[in-house]
Amino acid sequence: MRQFVQQLVNGTVLGATYGLIALGYTMVYGIIQLINFAHGEIFMVGAFGGLTVYRYWLPESLAGNVWVALPAVLIVAIAVSVGTAVLMERLAYRPLRNAPRLAPLITAIGVSIFLQEAVRLFYPGGKRQQPFPQLISSGTFDVAGVTVAWVSVFVVVVAVALMVALQVFVKKTKTGKAMRATSQDPESAKLMGIDINRVIVVTFVLGAALAAVAGVMQGMRFAQIDFRIGFLSGLKAFTAAVLGGIGNITGAVLGGFLLGIVEALATQYVPQGSSWKDVWAFIVLIAVLVVRPGGLLGERVATRA
Amino acid sequence: MRLHRPPPVAVAGAVALVVGCLSPWATFAGFPGKMSLGGFPGGARLFCLLLVAGAVLFVVDVGGRRRAALATAIGATAVVVVNLVALVDQGGDIGSVSWGAWLALAGGGALVAAAWRLPSGHPPPEEWRRRPAAIEVAVLATGLLALLGAVVWGLEIEESSRFVSFLVFLTFSAVALHHLGLFSGLGVLFNRYPRIAMLLGAAVAVAFPFTQQGNAYWIRVFASIGVFAVAAIGLNVVVGLAGLLDLGYVAFFGVGAYVGALLANASLTTVHVHLPFLLVVLLGGCVAAVFGLVIGLPTLRLRGDYLAIVTLGFGEIFRITANNWDGLTRGPNGISGVPDLAVGGFDFGASHSLLGVTLPGFANYYFVELVLIAGAIVVFTRLNDSRIGRAWVAIREDEVAAAASGIDTIRLKLLAFAIGAFLAGAAGTVNAHVTTQVSPDSYTFLESILLVAAVVLGGMGTVPGALLGSTALFVLPEKLRSFQDMRLLLFGAALILVMRFRPEGLVPSRRRRRELREEAPEGVPGLAGATGAPPGGPVS
Repeated sequence: MRQFVQQLVNGTVLGATYGLIALGYTMVYGIIQLINFAHGEIFMVGAFGGLTVYRYWLPESLAGNVWVALPAVLIVAIAVSVGTAVLMERLAYRPLRNAPRLAPLITAIGVSIFLQEAVRLFYPGGKRQQPFPQLISSGTFDVAGVTVAWVSVFVVVVAVALMVALQVFVKKTKTGKAMRATSQDPESAKLMGIDINRVIVVTFVLGAALAAVAGVMQGMRFAQIDFRIGFLSGLKAFTAAVLGGIGNITGAVLGGFLLGIVEALATQYVPQGSSWKDVWAFIVLIAVLVVRPGGLLGERVATRA
Repeated sequence: MRLHRPPPVAVAGAVALVVGCLSPWATFAGFPGKMSLGGFPGGARLFCLLLVAGAVLFVVDVGGRRRAALATAIGATAVVVVNLVALVDQGGDIGSVSWGAWLALAGGGALVAAAWRLPSGHPPPEEWRRRPAAIEVAVLATGLLALLGAVVWGLEIEESSRFVSFLVFLTFSAVALHHLGLFSGLGVLFNRYPRIAMLLGAAVAVAFPFTQQGNAYWIRVFASIGVFAVAAIGLNVVVGLAGLLDLGYVAFFGVGAYVGALLANASLTTVHVHLPFLLVVLLGGCVAAVFGLVIGLPTLRLRGDYLAIVTLGFGEIFRITANNWDGLTRGPNGISGVPDLAVGGFDFGASHSLLGVTLPGFANYYFVELVLIAGAIVVFTRLNDSRIGRAWVAIREDEVAAAASGIDTIRLKLLAFAIGAFLAGAAGTVNAHVTTQVSPDSYTFLESILLVAAVVLGGMGTVPGALLGSTALFVLPEKLRSFQDMRLLLFGAALILVMRFRPEGLVPSRRRRRELREEAPEGVPGLAGATGAPPGGPVS
């Protein structure tokens, strides 16, 4: 039982990261029906951006101070991710808005490979794993025999706060309303005076910012990052988005947590589970698409090719 | 034919280029092609000099001459620029560049300027005047021989800077010839004599190993390409014809490879069975096809882009399974020591002498693969021209409309999946023998992407596209060793750029080209795509 609860906790922490990344997938999909394959890489460059500040820009005396280092790392991580995402949208995706669906998807794969390789080749030491600073205490505490790291608490709290903030943004602000309108019917939205290009950019920016935070959190939890982290995390986050119902923000969060928990439990309880660790997400994905293509909270069952 | 008086700038530019190409380009010895010596066009200067021939277009009046002249002029200038960069890189500073290169650069610039100011003139004819069949076939044969010559020539070039110059030369010559209507003319001839053209193509492919004078290196590379090309044609059935993006395609290839390795009684294996090779090829294809059906059944009901992710997932599951199932696949070690093929006492690993040329063992595999490629081409073209092929096009363009017109979309999509998987599986069995070992890390997501890239870059839905794409993706990294580390970066960039500027690929299928160049209907803000995809779920 204690082990079970421990895995639940681990899964929740894992799921918080998936959920944050999944939000980017789900929002972009909701608005332009593009599986932004390169979103995992946005997450990855965010983590590297954060590492850059810590390693090269922060003076030694400040690097140990949580109240300076953490915000600095987060802000630069977000700036790098958002910058990359905006460039990507502008240069790679926008010219293809009217192209058949296959074209932007292939472009997205190209962007993904390009970003991975750019980090691998041009980041100092990018070919190897890079140590990532812990930033906040690496200590743990016990609750009824279950070990929880302080980092994990931080990760879950920040993730939930950001998810709530995003909900509020989409529900309450004018831009959020414009996003909802665009996702429902872009043509009518345009007729109502909504600047669709701006809405799309805002969507990419929001997704990228959340992914950057997730990237920094991933680095803090595992204490290392490399250029490959975006690929699997991205795929799993996509699975989370599909599980929750793609295009649905609450669904992405729910899917993220569920997937994290499934992965943690399966790894623990299935014989030799750890060598199959990365398979569960795909099995969940296939199962969801076969049984309930719309996802848990999705309404629409996709029929078009 | 009317002749024009060439503008003086063009004459001056051409003369400067010719003189420049015959003069030293380097101030230091040791640059490839003896570039520090004048009096002959050594090294990359030859390519530059050949492109000057485009200056003839200032005089003769042919359709499309402005663009063609522009292409050759830019090409000549680009060759100079490439070598300037290489010279400065190797010599250390700008002083390593000798006056010949500067003169050639100036000449190239003058030619570009002169070509820019040429009148647009009339376009080249869509097809050439009919001539007797013998002459037309001879023209076709010359074209194919020129292709073989270009390949052999390129492979002989050792140095990176010279090879890049060669690529520049080849590219801009091809662009110039394209604007002069050569390729569309040849295409018409190709369609007029399809069988003869295929036979000629086969003859050229068979001739390739004989051009290598017993040198095994490139034959070996081409033996790897051959397998890849069969898989690329198979993937082209799935992606190019049926429009289903499969990102885990290499799994089928891997299934075939494992079948081939396990049934060949390798030295390090788990199954000690040896079946005749022909049977194994068919078996490998069939097992892969069954996998295709198993994967396809649950997923083909989904939208195209979901399918991409799910196939990716299956590809990963295949790799992880192969990695973990020690009892069958020997896990990460894989099956190794796969013996050479032997059919009826003929040992495929040994070298043979034929027509006075010693052919290394890889040539045997190369020939086997040619047979496979021929089979794949037949399957592809026959399907493409059939009712099934038209149904696939209908599904690709609008699945709902296709279903409404009475097409059994699921069954046809499954068929495409199974055929693609079969071809990949058959190719995989051969690959097990060529590489003599099979292990999970050869079947990663990246390999699937390379296959997709080969199909996309070459041209979706065409056989020459798949062949060209897979050849280019294999030969270029072998040749450009100094860029090898940047290979994937360049792939990524190439995928983005091709989708942006030439989505139909290098060798477009006519139907596909029209489809991809389709303009958005007026008044639509252009969000959901020209095919009018429905809006996704609301953001709530």
